[in-house]
Amino acid sequence: MTDQTPKEIGSVSFGLMDPETYREISATKVITADTYDDDGYPIDMGLMDPRLGVIDPGLECRTCGKHSGSCNGHFGHIELAAPVIHVGFAKLMRRLLRGTCRECSRLLLTEEQMDEFRSRLVRTRQLGDDPQDVLKAAIRQARKTSRCPYCASEQYEVKHEKPTTYYEVQDVLVGDYSEKMARAMQPDSEDEDDQGTSPQQLAEGAGIDLSRINEIMSGEFRPRPDDRQAIEEVLDVDLTEEDMNKLMPSDIRDWFEDVPNEDLEVLGIDAESSRPEWMVLTVLPVPPVTARPSITLDNGQRSEDDLTHKLVDIIRINQRFMENREAGAPQLIIEDLWELLQYHVTTFMDNEISGTPPARHRSGRPLKTLSQRLKGKEGRFRGSLSGKRVNFSARTVISPDPTLSLNEVGVPERVASEMTQTMNVSPRNVEDARRYVSNGPTGHPGANYVQRPDGRRLKVTEKNCEELAEKVQPGWEVNRHLVDGDIVIFNRQPSLHRMSIMAHEVVVMPYHTFRLNTTVCPPYNADFDGDEMNMHALQNEEARAEARVLMRVQEQILSPRFGENIIGAIQDHISGTYLLTHENPQFNETQALDLLRATQVDELPAPDGADEDGNAYWTGRTVFSELLPDDLDLEFTSSAGDTVLIEDGRLIEGTVDEDAVGAFGGEVVDRVIKTDGSTRARVLINEVAALAMRAIMHFGFSLGIDDESIPDAAEEQIDEAIDNAYDRVEELITTYDNGDLESLPGRTVDETLEMKIMQTLGKARDSAGDIAEDHFADDNPAVIMAESGARGSLLNLTQMAACVGQQAVRGERINRGYEDRTLSHYKPNDLSAEAHGFVEHSYRGGLNPQEFFFHAMGGREGLVDTAVRTSKSGYLQRRLINALSELEAQYDGTVRDTRDTIVQFEFGEDGTSPVQVSSDEDNAVDVDAIADRVLEAEFDAEAEREEFVAATRPTNLSERADDRGASRDPQPAADAAAGQVNDDD
Amino acid sequence: MVDVSQHNLVPEHAILDEAGVETVLEEYGVDRTDLPKITRRDPALPDDADVGDVIEITRESRTAEKALVYRLVVES
Repeated sequence: MTDQTPKEIGSVSFGLMDPETYREISATKVITADTYDDDGYPIDMGLMDPRLGVIDPGLECRTCGKHSGSCNGHFGHIELAAPVIHVGFAKLMRRLLRGTCRECSRLLLTEEQMDEFRSRLVRTRQLGDDPQDVLKAAIRQARKTSRCPYCASEQYEVKHEKPTTYYEVQDVLVGDYSEKMARAMQPDSEDEDDQGTSPQQLAEGAGIDLSRINEIMSGEFRPRPDDRQAIEEVLDVDLTEEDMNKLMPSDIRDWFEDVPNEDLEVLGIDAESSRPEWMVLTVLPVPPVTARPSITLDNGQRSEDDLTHKLVDIIRINQRFMENREAGAPQLIIEDLWELLQYHVTTFMDNEISGTPPARHRSGRPLKTLSQRLKGKEGRFRGSLSGKRVNFSARTVISPDPTLSLNEVGVPERVASEMTQTMNVSPRNVEDARRYVSNGPTGHPGANYVQRPDGRRLKVTEKNCEELAEKVQPGWEVNRHLVDGDIVIFNRQPSLHRMSIMAHEVVVMPYHTFRLNTTVCPPYNADFDGDEMNMHALQNEEARAEARVLMRVQEQILSPRFGENIIGAIQDHISGTYLLTHENPQFNETQALDLLRATQVDELPAPDGADEDGNAYWTGRTVFSELLPDDLDLEFTSSAGDTVLIEDGRLIEGTVDEDAVGAFGGEVVDRVIKTDGSTRARVLINEVAALAMRAIMHFGFSLGIDDESIPDAAEEQIDEAIDNAYDRVEELITTYDNGDLESLPGRTVDETLEMKIMQTLGKARDSAGDIAEDHFADDNPAVIMAESGARGSLLNLTQMAACVGQQAVRGERINRGYEDRTLSHYKPNDLSAEAHGFVEHSYRGGLNPQEFFFHAMGGREGLVDTAVRTSKSGYLQRRLINALSELEAQYDGTVRDTRDTIVQFEFGEDGTSPVQVSSDEDNAVDVDAIADRVLEAEFDAEAEREEFVAATRPTNLSERADDRGASRDPQPAADAAAGQVNDDD
Repeated sequence: MVDVSQHNLVPEHAILDEAGVETVLEEYGVDRTDLPKITRRDPALPDDADVGDVIEITRESRTAEKALVYRLVVES
C-alpha cells in the first residue's frame, strides 16, 4: 500500500450502462428466489450464491478466491422477462419522448434550431452553467411542434403518470358517434324554435356530400377529423374524446433505439456513453452479497437484508411472468404482471417516490432500498464518507487544571493505555522499545501490540510481555501507549471554527477526566458543567508534524476574524490582575515570591520601597511587570477607566484587566504575540493566569448576599423613584384614554403608548440602579467583576440589589393570558406597569407571585429562542461551508475555485492574512524593530549582516504586492508582465 | 428611474477596452469565461455595456486603498 505512486484524478464522467456490459461483468445469472438451502449453504444460481461474494468467515469466494473481509463482492444479473423502466430516469425519459418524433424518432427541431442549441450548449459549458437548462429549453421548444419536420407524421401529447407510466394522448372519435349525431339532430323539446336538423341541412352546413352524411349516420363510415370538426360545429355536439394509449417499456425502448446520435448531441447527451434506450432495463444488475449481508440473530435464524427481500420479490414476479407468458395467458394478466414487475424494480431502487405505496416489511416498516442508503444525513455520502467513526479516538468529561500549560492536555491513564502510537524500532530506540513492551499492556508506559518484519502481529499480554521484550529487534514495530509529550488533537463539538480543534501535548494523569488549562476554554466554548470533549491520536509522522507546527494552541492564539487574540485571561484571572494592579497593594518579600511561584521568575527586582518597620515591599504592579518582556512599550485605556502605561516591560501606571490581558482584544497579549512570537505569548498567558490565581487566592474573593444589600435610606429612594414612574405611567394611560396622546411619527397611538411606557419604566429601573450603585464601595466583589470585565455588568448588580425591571416577550410587555388582561388578579384593560410584567422588586428582596410568573414567561422565551437559533445557525453554517470549502488561495494571490474560476483577484482585497497583520491602526507592528532584533541576534559581525541584507532572493510575496497603495495604474498588469506568473504549478 | 451608478455606495464600473482585457486575461492566466460575472441588466452597469464586455470595477477597500475587480457581462 505504501509503495504505490500517488496519482491524480484526471476526470470523472457518469453515463448509462448497456445490457451487454451488465451480462459481461456479471459473475453469475440469478434465477432462484431461494437464498440458503437446508444446511445453511448458499444455493447455486440463487441470490446468496458464493460467486457473488462471501460474508461467512471460512467460506471461499468462488469468483476471486478470497475470504470474508477481503472479498469485495461481485455483481450478478437477472434476465428480466420484460423490459422495465428505470425510475431514476423517469423525468429524462418524459422529456425525450416529448421531444422526439413517434415515427422516425428524430428530434422535433429544425436544423437551424438544432444549431442554435448546439452553440448554446458550448457557451453554457464554458461559463460553467448547468447543461440541463439547455436540454430543458430545447425540449420545451420541440414540444411545440405538432408535426415532425423530417417525416411529417403527427405527434401526440405524452402524458406522464408518476412514477413510471406514460400515455400518448390522442383525440379520437367517440365510439357512439352516430347515435350522438342522431340525438343532436332531433328537435329540441324545450326550445320551441328548434325544428331539428335534417341530414340535408347538415350536409350543407358541414360541406359534406349527403350520401356521405347518410353513411356516417348509419355507422358505416367514420368521419375524418376535419369533417368531424365541421359536424361538431353544425350540430353543437362533442364527438371527440381523449384516448390514452399506454406506452409499454418495450415500445419506449424501440422508440429510443431509433434516435440518432447527432440529435442527442444537441441535447447535451453523450451518445457514446449514454444511449437513451439503456434507460429501459432489460437486465437488472444484482448487488453483491457484501452489499446486502444477512445477519444471524440470537436465536440462530438468518435475517436477510432489505435489498435481498426486494430482489426475492423481483425474481418471483419475473418467474411468474415468464410462466404465464409461456402458458399463453390473456393480455390483461400479462399487463398486470408487467406492472407488478415494474413496481418491484422501481421500489428496489427508490422506495420513497410519491404516488406509489412504499414496499413494506411484514412488520409494516417501509424497506430501506438503494436511494435511501445514499440520501440524507445518515446516508452514504454525509454519514459514511464525508464523516465517519474513527479508531484511535477517545471522549470523556473535561475538568480544569491550572497547573497545565496552555498547550497541554491531561489524559487519563486508561485512555493513554488504549490509544497507541506506532514506533518503528531502530538501533537508537531499541532500549526504549524493549522497556515499553516489558511493561506490558496494563502498565503505563507500555505497549499493546508488536509487529514482526514478516507482518505478523502479536498481542502483548501479561504472560508474554517479558519474553517478547527480549525478541524485539530493529525493524519491528511496537504499538506503544501514549506518553507525555505526544501530540494529539483535541476537539469540542460543535466545531464552529478552526480553533475548535487544536493540537495539545499529552500529560498522562490519574483519574478519569480530560484536563485542560482554563484559559483555553473560550475557543472551544467549553465550560465544566459536564461537557465532554474528543481526542484523536495521530498515527502518522507527517500528521504529527503538521499538528505540532500548525495546530498547537499557541499558534491559534490569534483569531483569523479580526486578528485579535481569543485566548487570554478569563473571569477570575481578570479579577486577580485587577486586585493586583488597581490599588497597587504592597507585598513583602515572602508574599511577592509566593505570588511568582508558578512562573519562571527566580529573582525579584529591586524593592519599590520600605514600609514603616523598614521591611522592603514590592507593589502589585512591579510583581506583574516581572512577567512582561523587557522591550515592551504600550499605552492604552483600561476597562476601569485609567490609562495603562507600560515602558520597557514595566507597568508604570494603570489597571491590568480585560483590555490588557483578556481573551478578546487584550492589548498586551496582542502586542507580545506579534512582536515576540507565539511561544513567548504562550508563556505570558500561562504566567499571567498563574499569577492572577495566586493573587486572587491571596486576597480571597467571594460573593455573598450582603454584598447586594443597600441601606434603608437607599431603599426608600428607590421606592420613590419607582412610584414616580408609576404615576407617570398612569398619566400616560389617562392621556391615552382621553384620546389626547400624540402619536410619534410613523406609529399608531397604541404603539406610541406602549413605547412611552416602556421608556418610562426602563428609566425607572436605571435610576434605581444608579441609586444603588452609589452605595456600593469599590471593593464590592460584584462591582470589581463588572469594572474589570471579568464577569457580569452593572445591570446584574442593579437587578440583584435595586429592581429587576420590565419583562418582555417578543420585544413587548407581557400581553398574553386571559382576555384583555394577563392574569385574573387584574381588571380587564388594565394597562398599568404591574399588570404587564414590570417587576418592581430586586432579586434579593424577592418577587411576588405575579412578578415571578411574568419573569418565568420572559425567561422561557429566552430558552426557546436559543434552541431554535442553534439549529438555524447550524444549517446556515453548513451551507456557507459547502459553498466556501473548495476555494483556495493561489500562488499568484488570487482566490480560485476548483474550476480555476476567479473569485477574488487579490485575497481579501489586500493579500494579507488577518492573523499576520496588526489588528488596529493605532498599535501598528513595528516590523523594522523586529527585523533589527532578529538580525542582531543572528549575526555577530557587522559585515555578515550587511551581506545578508544586500543579497537578492526570490520572494514568495504576491507579485502584485507592490502595486497596492500606488496611484491607480491604467495598465495594472505592466509590472506583472515582467514577472510572468507560471500557473502550471 | 433612478441612476444607481451615481449613488456613493456604488463603485465605478468602467468598460475595459480590448487591449486592457487582453492584459488582464494574460496577467491572471484565465479565459474570459473564468472571470466573475455580472448580468447585462445590472443597474450599476453603464448603458452601453453589452454581453461579452469586461467591466473594470474600482472599489475603495477597508484594508487596501483601492481594489480592482473585473467582471464579464453575461445575459443572465
